[in-house]
Amino acid sequence: MKQHALSISKSLLLNTSAKCLSSIRCLSTEEAVERRNHLFVLEKKRQHEKVGRIEKIEVNYKGVPKDCTLIMNKDISTPYDCARHFSEWHTEMSALALLDGTLHWDMHRPLTESCTLEFQSFNIAEPQQVNKAFWRTCSLLLGACASVAFKSTVPVALHSFPGPDIRSGSFIYDVDLPTLPDWRPTSQELHTLSAEYIRICRQKLPVERLDVSEELALEMFVDNPHKTTQIPSIAKANGKVTLYKVDKHVDISKGPLIGNTGQVGKVAVTAVHKLTGSNDSEVKQLYRFQGVALPTGVILNHFAFSLLIERAKKLNSARSPINPFADTREPAHESIAARA
Amino acid sequence: MSKSSLKLLCTALSKMKVAYVTTRSCYYQPKFRPPYWYSPKERVMSEDMLTQENRDFLEEVRQDKLNLQTAVESPLAKVETEEVAQWTPTTRRAGLIARKIGNYPLWSKDGKKFQTTLLQVVDNHVIKYIPPEEFTPMKTTKLNWREKRRLGCLLVGSETIDPSIVTKEYCGLFDSVGMLPKRHLRRFMISPHAKMPTGTPLFATHFRVGDYVDVRAKTMDRGFQGVMKRWGFKGMPASHGVTKTHRRPGNIGAGGEKARVWPGTKMPGHMGNSWRTLRGVKILRINTKHNILWMLGVGIPGETGAMCYLFDTVLPLRKLKTPPPFPTQPFVDDIPLEYYDESIHMFDTPTITFEES
Repeated sequence: MKQHALSISKSLLLNTSAKCLSSIRCLSTEEAVERRNHLFVLEKKRQHEKVGRIEKIEVNYKGVPKDCTLIMNKDISTPYDCARHFSEWHTEMSALALLDGTLHWDMHRPLTESCTLEFQSFNIAEPQQVNKAFWRTCSLLLGACASVAFKSTVPVALHSFPGPDIRSGSFIYDVDLPTLPDWRPTSQELHTLSAEYIRICRQKLPVERLDVSEELALEMFVDNPHKTTQIPSIAKANGKVTLYKVDKHVDISKGPLIGNTGQVGKVAVTAVHKLTGSNDSEVKQLYRFQGVALPTGVILNHFAFSLLIERAKKLNSARSPINPFADTREPAHESIAARA
Repeated sequence: MSKSSLKLLCTALSKMKVAYVTTRSCYYQPKFRPPYWYSPKERVMSEDMLTQENRDFLEEVRQDKLNLQTAVESPLAKVETEEVAQWTPTTRRAGLIARKIGNYPLWSKDGKKFQTTLLQVVDNHVIKYIPPEEFTPMKTTKLNWREKRRLGCLLVGSETIDPSIVTKEYCGLFDSVGMLPKRHLRRFMISPHAKMPTGTPLFATHFRVGDYVDVRAKTMDRGFQGVMKRWGFKGMPASHGVTKTHRRPGNIGAGGEKARVWPGTKMPGHMGNSWRTLRGVKILRINTKHNILWMLGVGIPGETGAMCYLFDTVLPLRKLKTPPPFPTQPFVDDIPLEYYDESIHMFDTPTITFEES
């Protein structure tokens, strides 16, 4: 199966004709995941080899144990490699890197020029960006969890996730389940989803980043119709498409994510709400998966966390991608009575 | 014919005087390792990473939940008296969990002084009722006798505590019925028609003044004690030439056929910290504001501040003859602050006088 995928991908990279594309649509979900993973790995290797002659850059590190200058490789070394020069604690503690005091950078993203480097953990004074990166990572992992949790007979088409809003109380991922028109998960099923999520997190996988061209992104997500419609608009806005890979799962996201899934501590998938599309949208309904999480190292008693879980069970009022002008907030009882 | 001769033999043997009387007392070896199904109650406390305003918010939420729990009117008030089952002399109804808070004197109408023990019933609520068909407890020891009638199990808890102190598993017991966790949880075996719904509060007025109760509690731990305190041996004289033997047990056996120390011989050892039930303790006074029962005597097992469990007495001459509040006394707004037994002298009545004879 892997060789089959390999041969297909190789032929694709050489020539992209419509005939080949139509044969790909019949791939099963697992094969599509394998293929996407393989394409990501190939592209990453190609970009690594494209660097050619290695140039050195000076990275001025500010922080514990003392400020110093590191000589790193341009376009190859990442902030994670800089952290490895110090200690294991640095690699585990740092969630995000701050370049020149202003630019937030992924831990596994290669550095392009000489800069000032600081590591940002969850305990800093101004953690807004780190928290947003954490929330974004949690959404991505929720998509990963949803795509592996279902049986092979149930196709899962991930739609998207909105920008992080921590004050809403939960992180979300909108998923399209075409074969399940009316699914209401029981508490046991939510427990299973949470267990799957925790399993991914406890493997302590690094979150890899890659910038790809629009064509390759379309190639990789050819089995997902929603992503195929979103990629052109993303590419037009930013010029290239940013992909993130966690183990076998590859997804599109704009902003920085945290470095390692091991930095996600207590987590619970709290609810799945149904979103109905407006009459003129192509997608008729989506399932909004919601969850809440805390970083590793944050100590909170079970009673306080249960309050967070209760809050996260309520429908998140972020805009629905298929019905942007509808009020996604749950109707209050008084308004129903007023309308009646 | 063999049966009657066997019976004759048995009666003859029982009348014979036996030289050595062994009291095979039921001594339970204290177990220090918990059983496999045990899950701890107290949580390993660690400093929570919360801002002050979050701590205040948590406190508010706890207070709201507590108010919600206590504000719920006792469901018995809504039920008409016809629907409530009738009490019969063979009915077993729920008991109370109380805390021993001290000793006070009271005087009878003749001027005789009694020492009384105060027991406070703190925040008792019914947690759950398990009907006899579903109730299958784990058999820990071999039973000497078995209860013939089928009794249901009523779980009663006392003293609501902060959920963040205890483990999630212990809280789950209460969350499944929608109650805040309690410090003490006890089961009472009751007749099925004496059951009560979850959340019913139990007050001191569950018992009445003049009723007799059985009090079951753990006795004071006296540690390793000698034979005089433990078994009441007389010891030896303090002087008159007695050498080095004043509080020792003396002889522990005799020679002859069975020349050994018999099992069960009374010797020094650990005393106290064992469950004992004191039967037929009279209630002299009830304070309804703080839910305090004034019991006659100071023999209630346990130290001050220890928990004890109260049941309707099983003694045949002191059992309930008139129907008590059944299944329990519901919450009533205007009741007298104190109930006194008729034999007790109340301080606002004229002082007791004796005629000079």
